Amino acid sequence: MSRLVEKRTVDMQVIGEWVEPTSRVLDLGCGRGELMAYLVQAKQVSATGVDLEFDRVSACVRRGLSAYQGDMTVFMRAFPDRHFDRIICSRTVHELNDPAGVILEALRIGNKVTVGFVNHGFWKNRIDACLRGRKVRNAVYTTAWHESRPANPLTIADFEDFCREKSIRVVRRAHLLGDWRTRCPILPNLFAGYALYDLARA
Amino acid sequence: MTDDVQAPPAPQSEFRHLAGDDVGIVRPRDFTHQQPFAFKSGQTIEGFTLRYESYGALNATRDNAVLVCHALSGDHHCAGWHSASDHKPGWWNNLIGPGKAVDTRRFFVICVNVLGGCQGSTGPSSTDPATGRPYGIRFPFVTIRDMVNAQKLLLDHLGVAELHAVMGGSMGGMTAMMFAMEFPHFTRRQVIMASTAHESAQAIAFNEVGRQAIMQDPAWNSGDYPRDGGPRVGLAIARMMAHITYLSDAGMDRKFGRRKHESAGGEAYTFDAQFEVESYLRHQGQSFINRFDANSYLYITRAIDQFDPARAAGTLERAFAPVQAESLIVGFKSDWLFPPEQNRSIALSLLRAGKRGSYAELDTDLGHDSFLLESDELYALVRGFLERNEAYAFDFAI
Repeated sequence: MSRLVEKRTVDMQVIGEWVEPTSRVLDLGCGRGELMAYLVQAKQVSATGVDLEFDRVSACVRRGLSAYQGDMTVFMRAFPDRHFDRIICSRTVHELNDPAGVILEALRIGNKVTVGFVNHGFWKNRIDACLRGRKVRNAVYTTAWHESRPANPLTIADFEDFCREKSIRVVRRAHLLGDWRTRCPILPNLFAGYALYDLARA
Repeated sequence: MTDDVQAPPAPQSEFRHLAGDDVGIVRPRDFTHQQPFAFKSGQTIEGFTLRYESYGALNATRDNAVLVCHALSGDHHCAGWHSASDHKPGWWNNLIGPGKAVDTRRFFVICVNVLGGCQGSTGPSSTDPATGRPYGIRFPFVTIRDMVNAQKLLLDHLGVAELHAVMGGSMGGMTAMMFAMEFPHFTRRQVIMASTAHESAQAIAFNEVGRQAIMQDPAWNSGDYPRDGGPRVGLAIARMMAHITYLSDAGMDRKFGRRKHESAGGEAYTFDAQFEVESYLRHQGQSFINRFDANSYLYITRAIDQFDPARAAGTLERAFAPVQAESLIVGFKSDWLFPPEQNRSIALSLLRAGKRGSYAELDTDLGHDSFLLESDELYALVRGFLERNEAYAFDFAI
């Protein structure tokens, strides 16, 4: 497995621990369905994904998964309160047009919302920005600025503030070090490379 | 459905029907049901015939059948050629065949001319045994559900235990949807393309103009006309008008633009066909009257207008409650007759009802007829859905 694939699977394991077996899961920005496939196998969940790209939805269909091609906010508006047990928004949140809108809408239609993101407060990312004076490029952000989609990098501290401001209850946190594997014992905003949050309505 | 969108670039070889991925020369067959058949309207007929074609073979467990459902003006001939000199294959030949997206080496593919049709199945142009003359508009009103019930009798007759999938575009998508609702434990998958769970006022309006063109033609004569006669002018106009609704502005612009017909010369002050689009539509109208019955057109468009499963159940989610099938819904961006929004709403209702379903959308300029498109993306999607394989689940190369 390449380093990238390994990194891709890290949040799968944490999310896999959090997801209740046989629950109804919605994956926002489901990509080619790797996470859903894992959760279907490991936790027998019934999963649906949403993605904007035809090719990704088509890949999900080939994997035997349900996926919907379209805008995630429009999709979520079509569902009643608490329709899903869990909404997952992993490695997508920094690319959203209206992250607060998406997370609040997810909290309406889902009982729990799992958000995962790369922590731009991680010391290496700070050094990248400060010393190299360059856009962060790593195993996840592989592209140059001109090849990337608009991104809205955030840090763990930013996200904590957001939850407090919106009175969102943080049920669980997982802060992982730069290897995206080991739990971060102290100062997560400086030492954690990746963060996962399990959210619920207050 | 138009005739020409998917017509492949005519292969030069006279042996094109022998192409390796083609089902080759096919022959339609007739199934006759000899017991009384009750329509949803309460009317009955003493029996009926359905003309159908099938490709591939039913397996030992009798569960590899794929039922293909045609659109308004389509028929049972969805793949292969009727003879070596045929100039056109079946209407979904690009999708169905050995090794194609709907692989006839794997699946037993069946396509049936609908009840109420005029390509060999019992419909208004068939002889009423009571009078010895064509039924005309004495034929019972047909609904999509009646079409489905009749086709189920054929599938039972063929020994099909369970449908691997039912699929269709436009009205064919309605038929597929109805199959999954009416026979939930018989239908494992449904593929619905460029369809709707109920027509918009605009779509009904277009159908009504078509019907009026037919019924206002004096030769319609209240539906009572000889087999070789009838409202040919009205039917041709109905077809020309409907044909425009199957295309898109951009697609027509690309195909015809403002190009003039060769024989138009420099003469601008005439009402003869000058623009290519005019002669094209005239040709479409003329070729249609040679193969389609005007009364069938009335009946089938009416069945499409009436299709509205949400109406009886209260909501579409409730109508979908019995569905067991996994669903694949495909919309096309340039389709303004049954636009993406209406296809999305089918998918969303299935998901709200807790069913497994996917929605994908293709960006083409072929309008409503896009489902007949030659597109590797569409083929991969359909094949992936029909052959979905557990082994793919962890293949990161997908």
